[in-house]
Amino acid sequence: MGDVQDILGLERPPTPELTKEAILGSSDKLKKKQMQMSTPKVSKRPEGMPREVFALLCNDSKGVPPVFPTDTGQGYKQTKAKLGMRKVRPWKWMPFTNPGRTDGAVFHHWRRVADEGKEYPFAKFNKKVPVPSYTDDEYNQHLQTTGWTKEETNHLIDLAKRFDLRFIVMKDRFDKEKFTDRSVEELKERFYTIQTTLTKVRSTSPPEGKPYVFDADHERRRKEQLKRIYERTQKQIEEEQSLVTEYRRIEARKKERDKKTQDLQKLITAADSQSENRRIEKKLPKKKLQQQLTRPRVDTVAVESTGIKFPDMKGSGVSVRSQRMKMPANVGQKKIKGVEQLLQELGVELNPMPTEEICTHFNELRSDMVLLHELKAAFSTCEFELQTLRHQYEALCPGKTLDIPVLSESQTVSSSENDGGKQKINLEIIDVVGSPGTPNSSTHLN
Amino acid sequence: MTSGMLYGGDEIGALVFDIGHHSLRVGYAQEDSPKAEIPAVVGIAEDGNSNAVPQTDAMDIDDKMPDSNITQNKYFIDTTILHVARKGMEVTSYMKDGMIDDWDLFEKVLDYTYGKSIQSQSELHPVLMSEAPWNIRGKREKLTEIMFEKYNVPAFFLVKNAVLAAFANGRATALVVDSGATHTSAVPVQDGFVLTQGIVKSPLGGDFISMQCKQYLQDNDIDLTPSYMIGSKEAVKEKEKPRYVKKKVIPEVTQSWHNYMTKKIIQDFQITALQVSETPYDEKAVSSIPSVHYEFPSGYHQDFANERFHIPEALFDPSVVPMRGGVVGNTMLGVGHIVTTSVGMCDPDVRPALYGSVVVTGGNSFIQGFPERLNRDLSMRIPASMRLKMISANGCSERRFGAWIGGSILASIGTFQQMWISSQEYEEAGKGQVDRKCP
Ligand SMILES: Nc1ncnc2c1ncn2[C@@H]1O[C@H](COP(=O)(O)OP(=O)(O)OP(=O)(O)O)[C@@H](O)[C@H]1O
Ligand SMILES: [Mg+2]
Repeated sequence: MGDVQDILGLERPPTPELTKEAILGSSDKLKKKQMQMSTPKVSKRPEGMPREVFALLCNDSKGVPPVFPTDTGQGYKQTKAKLGMRKVRPWKWMPFTNPGRTDGAVFHHWRRVADEGKEYPFAKFNKKVPVPSYTDDEYNQHLQTTGWTKEETNHLIDLAKRFDLRFIVMKDRFDKEKFTDRSVEELKERFYTIQTTLTKVRSTSPPEGKPYVFDADHERRRKEQLKRIYERTQKQIEEEQSLVTEYRRIEARKKERDKKTQDLQKLITAADSQSENRRIEKKLPKKKLQQQLTRPRVDTVAVESTGIKFPDMKGSGVSVRSQRMKMPANVGQKKIKGVEQLLQELGVELNPMPTEEICTHFNELRSDMVLLHELKAAFSTCEFELQTLRHQYEALCPGKTLDIPVLSESQTVSSSENDGGKQKINLEIIDVVGSPGTPNSSTHLN
Repeated sequence: MTSGMLYGGDEIGALVFDIGHHSLRVGYAQEDSPKAEIPAVVGIAEDGNSNAVPQTDAMDIDDKMPDSNITQNKYFIDTTILHVARKGMEVTSYMKDGMIDDWDLFEKVLDYTYGKSIQSQSELHPVLMSEAPWNIRGKREKLTEIMFEKYNVPAFFLVKNAVLAAFANGRATALVVDSGATHTSAVPVQDGFVLTQGIVKSPLGGDFISMQCKQYLQDNDIDLTPSYMIGSKEAVKEKEKPRYVKKKVIPEVTQSWHNYMTKKIIQDFQITALQVSETPYDEKAVSSIPSVHYEFPSGYHQDFANERFHIPEALFDPSVVPMRGGVVGNTMLGVGHIVTTSVGMCDPDVRPALYGSVVVTGGNSFIQGFPERLNRDLSMRIPASMRLKMISANGCSERRFGAWIGGSILASIGTFQQMWISSQEYEEAGKGQVDRKCP
């Protein structure tokens, strides 16, 4: 549109002034501007500027219609940089002095005319680390020490000033011909001692905060350690690596063994408590037993995590008793199958009449069966481990055979019936040699 | 804030000189590459005897020694004029061991630089010059003196080229591996200061490789006749004896100039053909890599295969250098070894920072595969706990002119402008202050 008007030489409404805000301004301002733009206000082309150039700079919103219909509104046009039409600010090659310099040297640089005469902008970066200085008196009274002459101390302070306390560079540039070759720690120690002594001596009020104390010995040891770490040979590193992996392996094995012992322990307790229960039951007079049996015993029968934990039917309202014999949902299919098979082998009905007594015994039986199964499995793994260990032992010490103490039935019984202390010892044997004793304990349960 | 503040730059029209054995690089600060690169050798001939080639636009400065009117020397500076065959023109370098040695010649080159390359007066421009990290006090003071007394520069500053190379790669702390013409060095830099006690250098640089190439080519009877002698030539088959006709009139050139021209051929061969093997040189592994075809000015051409890798291998493993005439290669250090030795001499506290930015610079590091091989060698050598980062500018001029670019950056930083030794300061305190002011 604008172009056509231009070509025809028609007069246009006056230009809205383009400011920096128009380009960079906040969004609502921008929106306002856009609204302004959408109203038929068109920029005025300055005299003598070619139309095409002007179109690049100042494109009104209702420029050339798009070739394709778009639904993005103003589209990319919005982001087109609208360069300021302000007057250029001239630059000038001018002389300047730098307050950061002490000699007042005059150099030349380009600067905006508007900034002429202002202070050199980089002078404010001229920062210096405060380095203490001392008078002869102060030195003689407080700072004398063995190993450092005044001259050498002066040299140190000079270096500190020149290199802004970069002690590693200071060490590098320390005059080794005139003085001795000092380590970084020696330099630091001397410097910080001077600093703290001077602050202590000069301050009249007690110093606030802790003064900085440089622990040279600690630093030296740290560096030594660091050096040693860096200077390890490839072989040493490999050795350490292999040691670490070996250590990890041992740890893992130990954990595994601990877990196994725990599992075994669980099985043993389960077996023990079950047999105990049985004995108590036998000892109890019939009447008492009856009394006991009148109460549902589901929870006592269930041994922790071994055997089958039949659900407690208490408090779940009215239920059919056969419900009690139902296998709990958390028992694996494999276990159920095994139990069923065993029951069939023993000629026991799979679904007996659910009288109170049958219920209890049937559940007990099945629980025992599972326990037995687990014990057998544990026993065979122990047996297997024992065999492998024996083979390993014989392979390592050819000609020797590993004597494994075969525990007699009675011993086993006593050990498993004994108090925890004895069992612990037993378990320790398991830990080391394998598990000769414990699996045998299951034999008496058979 | 002015826009200058935004970038921290403030350009005061300074000139930057980077001085090397191969060439002198010169240009204005704040530009991205030097205006001129001038060979570090000068042709000298006795006046009157020189060839009839007119030297109107070339620089020829007459030695106006008042006491010696017998020998008036003519100096031939810069590639164009230097490459012309002239009777009795000797080629000499003003450099020695990384430092300026022949001050008179160097001044001639400076005269030429101001007159022809910069085309401006020395009084107008502060000068920042690079120097070898092992430059000695006497030479630094002498250079300062010359710049202020003879060239009347308004301000002067000397910086070690390793520091500049580190700056060019955006580091203030770095281990700078500079493989130039005459040497390869490892220089630790901390916060813009060279740790002088950790500098390690070996003479295995570009010139050494050129020497090895020459030896190899001569051993294989390859004709290295420079083009100035060749009038016309015919195309020959690969590995066939070249057929060319020598130019009829050749001025009586000196041996040094002939050698210089031959070296140029070898350097071109070196740039085109050589490559560093990624792993230690192995005949079998290398033979699977395609060979490179190269044709010499005489017309002789052939494929180069294994030797492409075998020659530069000496940089990393000097023991492969064939022993010849007393030069025992394996007493020198390979590049990887130089680096680890250098870092090993530094304080343990800075070592991680140094390995954390290993800056590779210098023209010789341009041999294909140089940075990769160095990276591999270093990662094999340094402790596993140490992080290794290699910085090597990819662009040709960025790496070849690393030190110059660093100088260009430094001299145009606003906060640097207070560091210059100004002419006022020089007048007051003399040349001795260069040691303090330019650490
Ligand atoms: N593209 C390239 N490939 C291989 N080598 C190269 C290449 N470019 C330059 N060189 C070699 O690099 C060397 C010059 O390097 P550089 O310009 O860094 O040296 P210098 O700084 O002048 O010398 P020095 O550091 O020894 O004083 C020469 O020996 C040249 O042959
Ligand atoms: Mg160099």
